[in-house]
Amino acid sequence: MRERSVNNTRPLSPRLSIYRWQPAMIASILHRFTGLVLVLFVPLYLWLLHGMTGTAHHFADVTHWLHSGFGRLSLWLVGVSLMYHFCNGIRFLSIDAGWGESRDAMRNSARLVLGLTALVAVLLAVLLV
Amino acid sequence: MSEMIQLSVFRYDPEQGDKPTMQNYKVPITGSGMKLLDALNYIKWQLDGTLTYRRSCGEGVCGSDGVNINGVNGLACITPIAGLKQPIHVRPLPSMHVIRDLVVDMDHFFDQYRQIQPWLKTFTPTPEHERLQTPEQRAELDGSYECILCGCCTTSCPSWWWNGDRFLGPAALLQANRWIVDSRDEAMGERLDQLEDSFRLYRCHQIMNCMEACPKELNPTAAINNIKRKLLARKS
Repeated sequence: MRERSVNNTRPLSPRLSIYRWQPAMIASILHRFTGLVLVLFVPLYLWLLHGMTGTAHHFADVTHWLHSGFGRLSLWLVGVSLMYHFCNGIRFLSIDAGWGESRDAMRNSARLVLGLTALVAVLLAVLLV
Repeated sequence: MSEMIQLSVFRYDPEQGDKPTMQNYKVPITGSGMKLLDALNYIKWQLDGTLTYRRSCGEGVCGSDGVNINGVNGLACITPIAGLKQPIHVRPLPSMHVIRDLVVDMDHFFDQYRQIQPWLKTFTPTPEHERLQTPEQRAELDGSYECILCGCCTTSCPSWWWNGDRFLGPAALLQANRWIVDSRDEAMGERLDQLEDSFRLYRCHQIMNCMEACPKELNPTAAINNIKRKLLARKS
């Protein structure tokens, strides 16, 4: 207990604010972020499905929204998130299985997945604009 | 006048009680192959005797001088000055209680090492001679036995920053794996029982900062994955 009270007065050394971002670290945090995006957009998928299968009036509403700026941005975000989560998910699964576990393989696969996603993000943006 | 290098060093004096600050120093290059520890020594011996840090062997074996160098953890004694972006930011290992300047409280880190019971456990009677290993069995320990417990990996891990009270961290888990893969150890089941916990082991989210930080170029992420696979194999 004495030790704890001493440590209460000691400052904690800086961590996230000073740590240098590296490809593997970015790959991990993006995996969590894109997973969150994919889940948060579930109500949107359901609304789209509802619009596609409902009345003609609904269908027109949904089509109109999909062509709006916000609609396109949402499609882009979900598309990029899906692409990233899928690729990095395979990367994580293969590392879990013991494949590509060397230090270099871990680094390079992170770079590959990030690069691939950046490429898809640009392509998707061009397609949607 | 020889070439000068610039450093920005984390300072904290508990007797002043103020907030930590960064202090700038200029140090001459003292020779080719100069390491960061040489620069810290120059500051301590020539410029400012109050600067406090740990160091001992000076050749990457004792693991005393783990610090955060330009945002990545490493050992000051084996990090060449050449190639570091200036000013070189030197801070204590992240997410640790600072005792003074670059010296942090390692008690919790070593307590976590103790928790994995880092010694050979056997149940069979002690043989008359040594417990022998084949060269292949000995090779299983490569990549584990080299760990010097400097703390660079554990204090680089964001999972450990947020959940360090319960997540054992890369260093302790790499050591746990070292005993699990040791052919002479007979307590693998007991060790796996102790590790099978959503916090102690499974807080690892493959961030891989540990692998990037390790000054001995080991791979704690792979060691942790090996433990996970051993747990899976036991279940199936």
